[in-house]
Amino acid sequence: MGMENELEAAEYMKSEDLLTRRLADGDPGAPREMVERYHAELYRYAWALLRDGSAAEDAVQEVFERTFTALGRYSKERIEALSLRPWLYRITLNVARNAWRKSRREVPVAETPEPDTRFGGASGSTSGTESRESWMDALEALGRLSERQRVVVTLRYIEDLSYADIAEQTGWPENTCKTLARRGIGRLGVLLSGRSDGEGGS
Amino acid sequence: MNGEGSRRFGEERALGLLRDAGKHLGAMREGLVERALTRGTDRLFTCDSPLGEVYVGVSERGVRLLGRAASPEEFARRYRERFGRLLSWGTDESTRALARRVATALAGEKVEVPADLSGTTPFQRRVLEVVKGIPRGEVRSYAWVAREAGSPKASRAVGTVMASNPVPLVIPCHRVIKNDGTTGNYAFGAEEKVGLLEGEGVPVSELAGSPYLATPTTGIFCHATCPNARRIKPENRRRFRSAQAAIEAGYRPCRVCRPAVAG
Ligand SMILES: [Zn+2]
Repeated sequence: MGMENELEAAEYMKSEDLLTRRLADGDPGAPREMVERYHAELYRYAWALLRDGSAAEDAVQEVFERTFTALGRYSKERIEALSLRPWLYRITLNVARNAWRKSRREVPVAETPEPDTRFGGASGSTSGTESRESWMDALEALGRLSERQRVVVTLRYIEDLSYADIAEQTGWPENTCKTLARRGIGRLGVLLSGRSDGEGGS
Repeated sequence: MNGEGSRRFGEERALGLLRDAGKHLGAMREGLVERALTRGTDRLFTCDSPLGEVYVGVSERGVRLLGRAASPEEFARRYRERFGRLLSWGTDESTRALARRVATALAGEKVEVPADLSGTTPFQRRVLEVVKGIPRGEVRSYAWVAREAGSPKASRAVGTVMASNPVPLVIPCHRVIKNDGTTGNYAFGAEEKVGLLEGEGVPVSELAGSPYLATPTTGIFCHATCPNARRIKPENRRRFRSAQAAIEAGYRPCRVCRPAVAG
């Protein structure tokens, strides 16, 4: 990692500490900032875990509801001691796990869900149909990985987390996470090149 | 392309697409921010009032805490300690509408403001609901509130409820005065209480020592601020220190303001 990235990471940590302190102090602007700062990445994370737009939305709503409810009951000292980002990811993973359990009960045979049409609209004019299909393909392929591979690949390659952070959030050993990511990407490569047959040429 | 090359190609494509997906998904949070705040936090706004600028904390049910504070942070900490909820600035439309409504009510207009009394005991709630109904320009005694709340002997406890009223002004605890007609204490100070009542047209000094008025024409006695009492001609006004004294003099209580004998 270059020096610039390290500086950025240090800045990020500092601003996260500041946000935690503002939450502890009761700053009424801090909850909004927390949602604005973490909403998108938690949404991406939940999307990749659940493979469904509205389920991901519900999950993120639930994550913030849970975290705010908890923060309302925590003492000032307890809030100040929090590591906000890992805490939010842990809660997101828990919420997704509950959703998995629920959907398994409801739908015994796993099916590939229909691509969510809302994403077509939301991706806007900057991307054509072709590229949208491609990244939707990637997400769909991601959904075909095993649960553990999916979690690790999402955290590593969509969220850009380090293996140390991934290990902390999942509770799985760092080396296991590396293996899961390597195998996951390998499998994704196979799945996606299978799809691109005929496109690539020779 | 050999096997190794095609494998690498597939993996690189996968990585590129995953990052692309991440970027697209990031653009989809519109509207969700406000919803997360609405569901997860209570909302805060400030409002002009006869007591100066006050902070107002509201839940989905209504106004939950109103008061002065050194800073929004101080108010939000107090709120968190009392109700176990975070406060965020009320930027959503429904909070803004409620803020306008509170401002109108605090400016003296007759507008209904919902209060969330879920953090109070059943007795406190009964007392506060009774006090909420005391009209502007009128006052009632602690004994009267106690009786109306169904606990006629609890005047002293009513005083305690008034002192910890979470939503002063919205629930006008300043309109509850001592049984002898003097204004008594107020969470924001006794002076503020006098000022508020005078601002609402209550003849504070006339009430002290004689909070009841009777007229021989009808044989009825009233709280001195009851609209019926205000219609009594000056030459017919008989002043009483207590409801008990008026009854002993042969007067019947008014059916509108229902004066109560102190328990
Ligand atoms: Zn009357």
